[in-house]
Amino acid sequence: MPLWIRLLIVFTLLFWVAGIFLEWIIPLVPNSVLALPILQNAYSHVCHQQSHKLLGESVYHSLVCARCSGIYLGFFLVSIISLIWKLPSEPRVKYFLFAMLPMVADVFLYSIGIYSYSKILALFTGLLLGSTGFLYFYSALNKLFQEIKQKKK
Amino acid sequence: MKKYISPVICGFGAGVLQIVPLIKSFSCCLILPLAAFLSLLLDQKANKSKERIPMSKAVVFGLFTGLSAALFGSAFEILVTFITKQNDVILAFPEMQRMIEGFPVTPEIKKDVLNILHTVRYELMNYGFSWIYTFSILINGLIVNTVFGIVGGLIGAQVLNSKNKSSEV
Repeated sequence: MPLWIRLLIVFTLLFWVAGIFLEWIIPLVPNSVLALPILQNAYSHVCHQQSHKLLGESVYHSLVCARCSGIYLGFFLVSIISLIWKLPSEPRVKYFLFAMLPMVADVFLYSIGIYSYSKILALFTGLLLGSTGFLYFYSALNKLFQEIKQKKK
Repeated sequence: MKKYISPVICGFGAGVLQIVPLIKSFSCCLILPLAAFLSLLLDQKANKSKERIPMSKAVVFGLFTGLSAALFGSAFEILVTFITKQNDVILAFPEMQRMIEGFPVTPEIKKDVLNILHTVRYELMNYGFSWIYTFSILINGLIVNTVFGIVGGLIGAQVLNSKNKSSEV
């Protein structure tokens, strides 16, 4: 995949992740507070935004829950790695299922009351799924470019 | 158009899950990618196909799933707000106001943001409709849902192709 596409993915994910932590950015860039209601609405399409599940304790909170933050951070971190490291072209489906297991187990166990909701656990299980999910996204994107190239020929 | 029936159905489902009170609290960032994945799976089942899914098809299915989720979701949200004259913006307003007051920004900026929120809240509470709000949910929905749909479609196709063990290009 061309480098500029990989850079585009990294910067798009950087903006998305920065948006999640906008409340921490506001003191540094005060005018960014104008974007807060719009971004809050944008992220509400992809997260329940329940206040007790958001990252942060006092004034500043993430705009999505700990688990979603983990998924996006995982996507973002592996996208950076993809700039310098060759990612597997055909990741096996079982890796994806293994990466999903801790998250499913965490949701199930806290839902039935074995333990109470933990932001740290949610963040890390999300991070695991997000970073593995990026491998599949990257591989699929590679194939899409190959298909486009073949069609052009 | 018939071949795009499964993304439209799955998009409709995802749109409803994003809007309906109570169910909404279970929604998360995986709903839309799952809907795109499901649309590909349904299409495979309907056509009794085990062939490799081309990535271009995955993109189109993801796009349609996202678009239909955005359109149905926004339409439902506008309709529910119009009937009940209640929604999350109104409910979250006091919290939002407190939050903005707490930020270390100039009083002018705070006033500008709160003025916009006041206008939206007033219109929603009195008329059940606000142009700013409608525009905001439609644009946000279209952008976010289509991107998530496409990502879900690509990952979904990759997973289904791996499962069918015929994913060589």
